Amino acid sequence: MNCTLHLNGTETALGVDGKDMLLNVLRDEVGLTSVRGTCGIGLCGTCTVIVDGQTTASCILPVGLADGKEVTTIEGVPSDDPVKVAFEKANAFQCGYCTPGMILTARAFLDENPDPTDDEIAEALAGNICRCGCYVKIADAVRLAAGMLRDEKVAA
Amino acid sequence: MTGAATHWHAPRSLREALDLREDYGDETVVVAGGTFLGVLINNGVLAPEAMLSLRDVPELRRIEIGRELTLGAMVTHREVENHPEVRRLWPALAHMFSLVASPRIRNRATVGGVLADADYASDPPSMLAALGARVVLEGPRGRRELPVEDFILGLYETAIGSDELLTSVVVPGGHEAAVYRKFRTRSHEDRPCVSVAAARHSGRLRVVVGAAAMQPQFFPDVCGMGASPREIADEYAGRIDALSDARGSAEYRRRVVAVEVRRAIEETHHG
Ligand SMILES: Cc1cc2nc3c(=O)[nH]c(=O)nc-3n(C[C@H](O)[C@H](O)[C@H](O)COP(=O)(O)OP(=O)(O)OC[C@H]3O[C@@H](n4cnc5c(N)ncnc54)[C@H](O)[C@@H]3O)c2cc1C
Ligand code: FES
Ligand code: FES
Repeated sequence: MNCTLHLNGTETALGVDGKDMLLNVLRDEVGLTSVRGTCGIGLCGTCTVIVDGQTTASCILPVGLADGKEVTTIEGVPSDDPVKVAFEKANAFQCGYCTPGMILTARAFLDENPDPTDDEIAEALAGNICRCGCYVKIADAVRLAAGMLRDEKVAA
Repeated sequence: MTGAATHWHAPRSLREALDLREDYGDETVVVAGGTFLGVLINNGVLAPEAMLSLRDVPELRRIEIGRELTLGAMVTHREVENHPEVRRLWPALAHMFSLVASPRIRNRATVGGVLADADYASDPPSMLAALGARVVLEGPRGRRELPVEDFILGLYETAIGSDELLTSVVVPGGHEAAVYRKFRTRSHEDRPCVSVAAARHSGRLRVVVGAAAMQPQFFPDVCGMGASPREIADEYAGRIDALSDARGSAEYRRRVVAVEVRRAIEETHHG
């Protein structure tokens, strides 16, 4: 089928099989290898992308369901985005493998909940696994990002 | 990547979707949020030649609130859990949906999909059955409604005909109390080892146990005994033909059922 993704702000037309997973299309057809396949069953979060504002496990999303949708990967998040900056400032990674999924999950979460409690942060990130075990610093980064986003709003 | 290209049907109205379903039957795999099918396809368990996507059928996305709550089949778990009126009037239902998987899965998983896949370890079926909910099926012979406990026939087996679609779920309102308890043995966002839903309506108690056996377990005669929470719980534990899996052995599950059923009934007394 012909499938159009509004991918990181660019209209991207693709000839795909509707049952191919979005993850494979993004990696193999488009070359976005920041989207990482690990468990392949929706559990770990390394393949997280944002589809129409909502985090989605791309490893189990048939691409036909993404046709016509806005898809955001980590490349679509500007480098001065407070969440990206906060992850750097808080050193919220070691190997960086889980980081794109973590940042996208945090990004979508903070859009919904700009002033989260620690429990809400833990809950929001519970479905993203960090094999290096950087959870404490990742939670720090999300808290820091929340503060930066609120300051931005006040300044604006 | 995959063999022959899949025919992808994307109807834009319920009429069109029902016509396609009647024409193609089970050979064409119905897809809702894709979270259950995606796991099967991605792991090579299923390779559909054709798919019927309900994504663009607006009639299936409704949430209607009156004396009863109507959830269209394509309403997502997230939409139920975050809906202010559902949270106010059906708090146990909204809470239960918030306990399923992770937000990333709940963003896609639909009310129709979780009922139609009829996995024994899902959360919503037991809660919906305890609330007395009915599944609405539509097809060429018209529309019919079935109580959730009659709709799920066994493991991955439901009453949906090969020419029918699940179009909505209707949940009665006005419960005096409703409780959902999810007992997990592994990670926080895992499926339940045992789940217990209990609800009181017009003085009548309904207790439904999920994930302990191949389908939701409901014993109306036991609920109607007027017995103590402990007696009812022990009777449930004795009657359920519990299964063993990675989340717990049959013996373990029976022990958990005895405790969790008692606690759930006690909670219905406190509010
Ligand atoms: C990582 C992970 C964790 C999970 N954890 C939990 C958990 O904790 N608790 C829990 O309850 N569940 C859990 N689930 C299961 C999840 O909730 C279900 O996969 C989901 O609800 C299915 O809905 P869907 O819309 O994605 O269905 P789909 O995958 O699109 O479809 C599921 C099945 O239903 C059929 N179908 C769908 N809609 C209709 C319709 N309207 N009419 C007729 N047939 C239809 C499809 O043909 C298919 O057979 C988990 C899933 C994953 C991937
Ligand atoms: S690879 Fe998709 S959730 Fe793990
Ligand atoms: S930083 Fe290595 S997996 Fe998270």
